[in-house]
Amino acid sequence: MIKTINLTLKIWRQETSGAKGQLETYHASNISTDMSFLEMIDTINEQLTLDGKDPIAFDHDCREGICGMCGAVVNGRPHGPEKGTTLCQLHMRHFSDGDTVVVEPWRSRAFPVIKDLAVDRSAMDQIIQAGGYISVNTGGAPEANTIPIPQDTAEMAMDAAACIGCGACVASCPNASAMLFTGAKISHLALLPQGKPEAARRALAMVSKMDGLGFGNCTNERECEAECPKEISITNIARLNREFIKAGFFSSIM
Amino acid sequence: MQLDTKIPGGPLTEKWDRHRFELKLVNPANKRKFDVIVVGTGLAGGSASASLAELGYNVKTFCIQDSPRRAHSIAAQGGINAAKNYKNEGDSIWRLFYDTIKGGDFRAREANVYRLAQVSNNIIDQCVAQGVPFARDYGGLLANRSFGGAQVARTFYARGQTGQQLLLGAYSALMRQVADGQVTLFPRRELLDIVVVNGQARGIVARNLVTGEIETHSAHAVVLSTGGYGNIYFLSTNAMGCNVSAIFKAYKKGAGFANPCFTQIHPTCVPVHGTYQSKLTLMSESLRNDGRVWVPKNPGDKRPPRQIPESERDYYLERKYPSFGNLVPRDVASRNSKHQCDQGKGVGDTGLAVFLDFADAIKCDGKDLIEQKYGNLFSMYEKITAEDPYETPMMIYPAVHYTMGGLYVDYNLMSTIDGLFVLGEANFSDHGANRLGASALMQGLADGYFIIPYTIGGYLAGTPLSEINTSHQAFVDTALIAKERISKLLSVNGNRTVDYYHRKLGLIMWEYCGMTRNDHGLVTARKMIQELREEFWENVIVPGINLNFNQSLERAGRVADFLEFGELMIIDALARKESCGCHFNEAFQTEENEAKRDDDHFKYVATWEFKGDELEPVLHKEQLAFENVELTQRSYK
Amino acid sequence: MNWLTNTLWSSVGKKLMMAVTGIGFSVFLVAHLAGNLTLYAGKDAFNAYAEHVHSLGPFLTIAELGLLFFAVVHIATGATLFYQNFKARPVRYSVNSRAGGRTIGSATMPYTGLVLLLFVIFHLANFHFADKTNTTIFQIVASAFLKPEYVFIYVVAMIIAAIHVSHGFWSAFQTIGANHPKYMPYIKGASILLSLVVGIGFGCLPIYVALMT
Ligand SMILES: Cc1cc2nc3c(=O)[nH]c(=O)nc-3n(C[C@H](O)[C@H](O)[C@H](O)COP(=O)(O)OP(=O)(O)OC[C@H]3O[C@@H](n4cnc5c(N)ncnc54)[C@H](O)[C@@H]3O)c2cc1C
Ligand code: HEM
Ligand code: SF4
Ligand code: FES
Repeated sequence: MIKTINLTLKIWRQETSGAKGQLETYHASNISTDMSFLEMIDTINEQLTLDGKDPIAFDHDCREGICGMCGAVVNGRPHGPEKGTTLCQLHMRHFSDGDTVVVEPWRSRAFPVIKDLAVDRSAMDQIIQAGGYISVNTGGAPEANTIPIPQDTAEMAMDAAACIGCGACVASCPNASAMLFTGAKISHLALLPQGKPEAARRALAMVSKMDGLGFGNCTNERECEAECPKEISITNIARLNREFIKAGFFSSIM
Repeated sequence: MQLDTKIPGGPLTEKWDRHRFELKLVNPANKRKFDVIVVGTGLAGGSASASLAELGYNVKTFCIQDSPRRAHSIAAQGGINAAKNYKNEGDSIWRLFYDTIKGGDFRAREANVYRLAQVSNNIIDQCVAQGVPFARDYGGLLANRSFGGAQVARTFYARGQTGQQLLLGAYSALMRQVADGQVTLFPRRELLDIVVVNGQARGIVARNLVTGEIETHSAHAVVLSTGGYGNIYFLSTNAMGCNVSAIFKAYKKGAGFANPCFTQIHPTCVPVHGTYQSKLTLMSESLRNDGRVWVPKNPGDKRPPRQIPESERDYYLERKYPSFGNLVPRDVASRNSKHQCDQGKGVGDTGLAVFLDFADAIKCDGKDLIEQKYGNLFSMYEKITAEDPYETPMMIYPAVHYTMGGLYVDYNLMSTIDGLFVLGEANFSDHGANRLGASALMQGLADGYFIIPYTIGGYLAGTPLSEINTSHQAFVDTALIAKERISKLLSVNGNRTVDYYHRKLGLIMWEYCGMTRNDHGLVTARKMIQELREEFWENVIVPGINLNFNQSLERAGRVADFLEFGELMIIDALARKESCGCHFNEAFQTEENEAKRDDDHFKYVATWEFKGDELEPVLHKEQLAFENVELTQRSYK
Repeated sequence: MNWLTNTLWSSVGKKLMMAVTGIGFSVFLVAHLAGNLTLYAGKDAFNAYAEHVHSLGPFLTIAELGLLFFAVVHIATGATLFYQNFKARPVRYSVNSRAGGRTIGSATMPYTGLVLLLFVIFHLANFHFADKTNTTIFQIVASAFLKPEYVFIYVVAMIIAAIHVSHGFWSAFQTIGANHPKYMPYIKGASILLSLVVGIGFGCLPIYVALMT
């Protein structure tokens, strides 16, 4: 049986990066509870378009929770109220008829708004550029099974590598810190034997880049871990801290 | 248009070695004098950009998304094949080659497929060195599973996120080159056209999706790795941004388009459940390793699945294909689902679904093991449908998933336009009429890491290239045409949204050019598309302005291209008077309803040449020679 | 800048300084509390304890200077963090809600910290810089806690200190990288225990003294 609900939406509208934005109210009626949140915005946009108005801009692509492109803060919760879920996978059955839903973009100095709900997250790419890689050129790799990696280590690395780079951790953090994202990458690579040779250099470079981009400082509020759609753990932040402190004080890198 | 495969001579197993030796080399000091544009940052484009930059070329890399890491390769779940034979099951390069050729129903080129199998092992080595966290056994060595139609376990995987992990590997290599200044990154850019000067691809016209500006970029060669066009069906497992525009523009500029009608429909997807739906979600094929597919024996049986006794269930795949059972190739599994539903045995509200049941697997292996294997897929299913697959069988239905067709390329992966290379899903090269599971990731990375770095060198070293820049008239003219089209889209100002047309087009394609086809339907569809296209240009409404972030405008451009391209798919489907792999023309089937090939007349790659908007495209055939495998009727009984 | 300042002035480095100084304070608090518990044993025991401490001479001065240095580092760094974090989100959300990570302790660190600073100044002015000629430290304490407003201020301050360390203690471990699935539950437990000890141990003292005299 198809169940439908009616909602009042307050959505952040902002024409361009520099423009002043504000919340605007929309009414969404007959929303099927099987719809995803983005499909609900699609229907509003269809109507806005037909009414000759500007549809709401929002980033999205895969719509299956893996590309990390989507995201907005729904009633104060990045990616909405469901745990371990991206916005594109949030279904309307988690809302009730008559709800008022406030939708805002990720808010952080490092993520300027492009338009409406779409923000510029290139700062995250810059953090990776600073050292989120293993320096191997194509072609020079040894046979894949040369170095065994204990299964639990590989699993821990995978837990960290599951980050989709959505930025919800930054959005949810009271300090707009990017430590969960950065910690996940540093952990993923530091855990693997292949990543160890560069671990010290990587930790120093990535943290220094992250600091320079305008993110806040982590104060262990743990909101990131609670909001992360991939449920990345803050043990990865602890590992980042460890790697960084080790590199800062004990490595030979000046 | 002349098709020249450039396949090197000699025995199959030595062709690639020999070719690499024969290809001219660019002097290391000269590499930095060459600019290469790479469009697309999926597995193919990401790996190509990084590898070319490592060699010293100046690379400019473009993608639609805000970050190269978000290309649609990220969504691949199941795994990547390689002929490592870690399991001691008798796998080999030759077997991987043979399976891929046979899986493609003998419509792919032997030499290319053999090379793919050869480099498959290097891919795994490379990815492990990059830190891709593949699944491992207790002893710490790499784990394998069997996947989609293969009888050996040769698939490497990283939970249900293999594509993501492989792409993050390529992305990290790319980011390293960006930091080194070897790659200049242009995210949030959409290619609008290719610039051809003196018959050579020398640059692109792109739109900055944030500011709306039209940019031109020049280079000595252009690499397209823009992915597949399954989105033409509106509902597919592809990401929302997947498009045909880049390769279709190249087609209009003179690149041959090969086998456009070869579309893979994946058997295990979450069924359609409403008219508002924007995409379909794939449930990894690996589920078929443990799940059993069935429908009620009696049409119209609407009892809840658990109340239907064993004796009234039809495990039709196990019944019809005793040796492969639920693991038959995708095309076979998909058509069988449709066949059951056409007989009224479909389940669920729409009657367009079949059950995929884990009850026996849970009984036999325990819930824990099943959860360990498929936990993330089960929870994804539950998120979408609000049903618990541990308790009640999943419902699945086929959905458009992959396009084997693409731009025609020779052995060097160069299209029929000089200097325009095409990699990954965007080319037609390796999968024939049907792709086997876990081989697209392999192909994308093979193309990007291990093939283009050599073949592009051969081109650049052996081709006279004049010095030009973006002030050349060809750039100015091409940019102007792109701008005019945007103005035209914005000025129609009609009454129907872009999505309306996209949805309609999708339904036409799905109905008439989907899992099964027939000549009458195809002819009807062609006319419908023409009418729809006409209406689109009269009645579409594209809100907003050009010089801003305008997602409606982006979509409008892509749908306008789909509306033209759909016709080419139909023309191709009509011209192929046989059934093969995923192309199933009802007029050509065996008594057991399997695809019936006509090797005498259609053992070729159908390559279409654009002749003008009002003119029929012209067919060029590359006859496929099978010197190393015997053509057989595929049988999975 | 050299490697040391680079390391310390990074976000992680600043946190590290907070953690080290914070743990230093926590150790001080426990020691201070242990000493103050002599109050329960009566005025002589307490005076003896005070005398013993003062007899340490130069060691005491070093310890005091150390604490002062820690305080300067803790406060200056804390203030920097607060300012930077405030600036990291120029436009605030119009709806704020939590997903369950934040606690009262974590959400109020800068504010409880500031209150503690004011309290410490007040506390030092009362007891440390008090004129100690012709009187004993016990008398000073006893007369102070005769005033109900003093008792109130001290009790509230100790509750605030408890809140501050309830987050601070485990957070310091996380900051230095000591988060292990086997041990973290114990560290969190110790955090709560410490805040209870501080809150109850210190909090009851003024009440006890007030009632006793
Ligand atoms: C849900 C799903 C699951 C899959 N699972 C598997 C699997 O398990 N195993 C397997 O082998 N294969 C799998 N596949 C297939 C495989 O993922 C793809 O075929 C492959 O990743 C394609 O890679 P690509 O690099 O060619 O293109 P993509 O990854 O699609 O990248 C295309 C790139 O081109 C850019 N682009 C596109 N158009 C333009 C334009 N006009 N201008 C500028 N840039 C443009 C995009 O931004 C993007 O960066 C799966 C596919 C899907 C959809
Ligand atoms: C008895 C006194 C104090 C004790 C025992 C103490 C203890 C601690 C501890 C252990 C931390 C945790 C460090 C970390 O998270 O790594 C901390 C953090 C903090 N302290 Fe204190 N502190 C005291 C006084 C103060 C004072 C006077 C201030 C005044 C401004 C202050 C401000 C802060 C702030 C802002 C933080 C948060 C920093 C962060 O979480 O990153 N503290 N404190
Ligand atoms: S750590 Fe989690 S919340 Fe942060 S970017 Fe990665 S997936 Fe998103
Ligand atoms: S759209 Fe890809 S994660 Fe939501």
